[in-house]
Amino acid sequence: MPTIIPSSALGLDGKVAPSNRIVVGGIGIGPRGREVLKHFLSQADVQFVVIADVQETRREVVRVMANRQYNNQDCAKTRDMYEVLARPDIDAVLIATGDRWHALLSMLAAKAGKDIYCEKPCSMTVRESQELADTTNRYGRVFQSGTQRRNVDNFQFAAELARSGKLGKIHTVHAGILPLQESHKWLAAETEPARELVDWDRWLGPAPWRPFNKDYINGRWRGYYDFHGGAALPEWGAHTVDLCQWGASADHTTPISYEADGQTIYGKYANGVKLVMRLSGFKGEGSWVVPGTCPVRFEGDEGWVEAADTGKIAVSSPKLLAGGAPKEMHGTDPSKHVRDFLNCVKSRGKPACNADVTRRGHIISHVASIGWRLGRKVEFDPVTETFVNDADANRMCSRARRAPWHA
Amino acid sequence: MKLIRSLIPALLVAALAGPVVAAVVSESAALAVLASDAGLKEKARACQELGDFGGPKSVAPLAALLNTEHLADYARSGLEGIKDPSAGAALRKALPTLEGRYLAGVVNSLGVRRDTAAVSELQKLALDPKRGVAEEAIASLGMIANRDATKTLQKVLSSGPAELRVPAAHAAIMASALVAKEGNASVARELLESVAKALPKSHLAKVAQEQIAALKKKPGK
Repeated sequence: MPTIIPSSALGLDGKVAPSNRIVVGGIGIGPRGREVLKHFLSQADVQFVVIADVQETRREVVRVMANRQYNNQDCAKTRDMYEVLARPDIDAVLIATGDRWHALLSMLAAKAGKDIYCEKPCSMTVRESQELADTTNRYGRVFQSGTQRRNVDNFQFAAELARSGKLGKIHTVHAGILPLQESHKWLAAETEPARELVDWDRWLGPAPWRPFNKDYINGRWRGYYDFHGGAALPEWGAHTVDLCQWGASADHTTPISYEADGQTIYGKYANGVKLVMRLSGFKGEGSWVVPGTCPVRFEGDEGWVEAADTGKIAVSSPKLLAGGAPKEMHGTDPSKHVRDFLNCVKSRGKPACNADVTRRGHIISHVASIGWRLGRKVEFDPVTETFVNDADANRMCSRARRAPWHA
Repeated sequence: MKLIRSLIPALLVAALAGPVVAAVVSESAALAVLASDAGLKEKARACQELGDFGGPKSVAPLAALLNTEHLADYARSGLEGIKDPSAGAALRKALPTLEGRYLAGVVNSLGVRRDTAAVSELQKLALDPKRGVAEEAIASLGMIANRDATKTLQKVLSSGPAELRVPAAHAAIMASALVAKEGNASVARELLESVAKALPKSHLAKVAQEQIAALKKKPGK
């Protein structure tokens, strides 16, 4: 009998040969993770091979999704994320668990030799932001945080206006944030499901123990101190503060002082540029010109620009749109961001939201939230990445991880 | 639809009923909660608060919880935050009395604190498979990274059990970064060379070689 080799295995008919595909595993893929995963699955040079999730229903949804895409039954599923990291055939992982696992899993993946696309916020604390960047850099891994707005047209356009000098000298950048809050409540204890259905111990992972309640595993874990770092500021700050860093050409540094006034936090860079973190018009609070979530605004001495998730843009003068307005692309669309990551996996280059960019953007959100918690102005040294003469604030830069989880 | 989906986290955060910010309480109030018959949740929170603002007098009450189910990790979060040396001493003192996750947690906390006084105990744990925390002890030695700790890592890499060489390599890579930052490039290089030699076919050897190359570009002692 002759051996029949499918054309896809040879890279014919527009297919990418298996040896040239990036083999990807997924860890903790819920609704947002599936949105991102769709854009991985649609890439011809990606082969998604395994899903690890502590919830059986989520494992199965993702397995079916991948098998439908490839028209086979090859996608494996497991409860144990460490199994994914141990597989030598896997080049890269998509991590979309809750925030409590992001940094730790990213570090473990880096140590296992995997490249990483990790949903945001990528860290629970200042220290985790530092450890994450140090580890991924040390192990030479490609890292992209899921802060995709750096690869969304209207935000790119706005940042380019600011960075190119078309707005004059930038003096203030504004980042939309969610209401600052941290709850220490525990939901009522419910009977834990069988471990094969929901592994509550692994769901908690490095976060402190508390009794099971199904609301947590259904996505309602946000706002709780133990699961949501930075008093919820990094939830949008991971995007908007990051964009402000970009617009202010400040990716190499952080503001040096932070002062909260209610739900607004004013940061100030060493060069005098102001970073205003303020509410986003949600529930009628705050005001922005452009409608939509995750708004940003860059102001220079010759003009301003504002952009938000609706894909729209507003400018102080029509002249700033002389070359044509950017395409309207929704701010949550990760398609270009995923492709940026995959290109860098191949080239070993640095994607838009690499580990260093992620480090500082996240640190700013955490530092601002610590100042807010303390209820006073704090000063921060961008070089040592510590609060200046402020032992109380420095104590809030890390949290203990629940045993036995460690990097 | 996409817009609605994107708003879900915001809706959930905003809908969460709870205090806007943690109440500022005193160390004595938090200690009173620990001493009372308050519930698990209240004691857990008190431990965290003591990590934020507790001092030496909080050490003993926190240490007393290091083998208490569901509170042990909270107690460590308190002790990790207290810079006073008595917190490190309490963690070291607990080592012989603990097992399993409780022991693993304390070993990790000593590493996070970079407690040089714990190195001899961690060396023993790293080389004693019966205690079940060899990997954690090795990781903590990598975080502490003083001369005794790094020697132990090199020993494990050169002649330790095969199953501990990968954890020791990770710890040595971490330690090399710390000692290099402190200006001791020669020790950093020794550590990385030990990794490359111990696991020549592993991706860790490549990481080590790249780090050695990076060290050559930097001045050091």
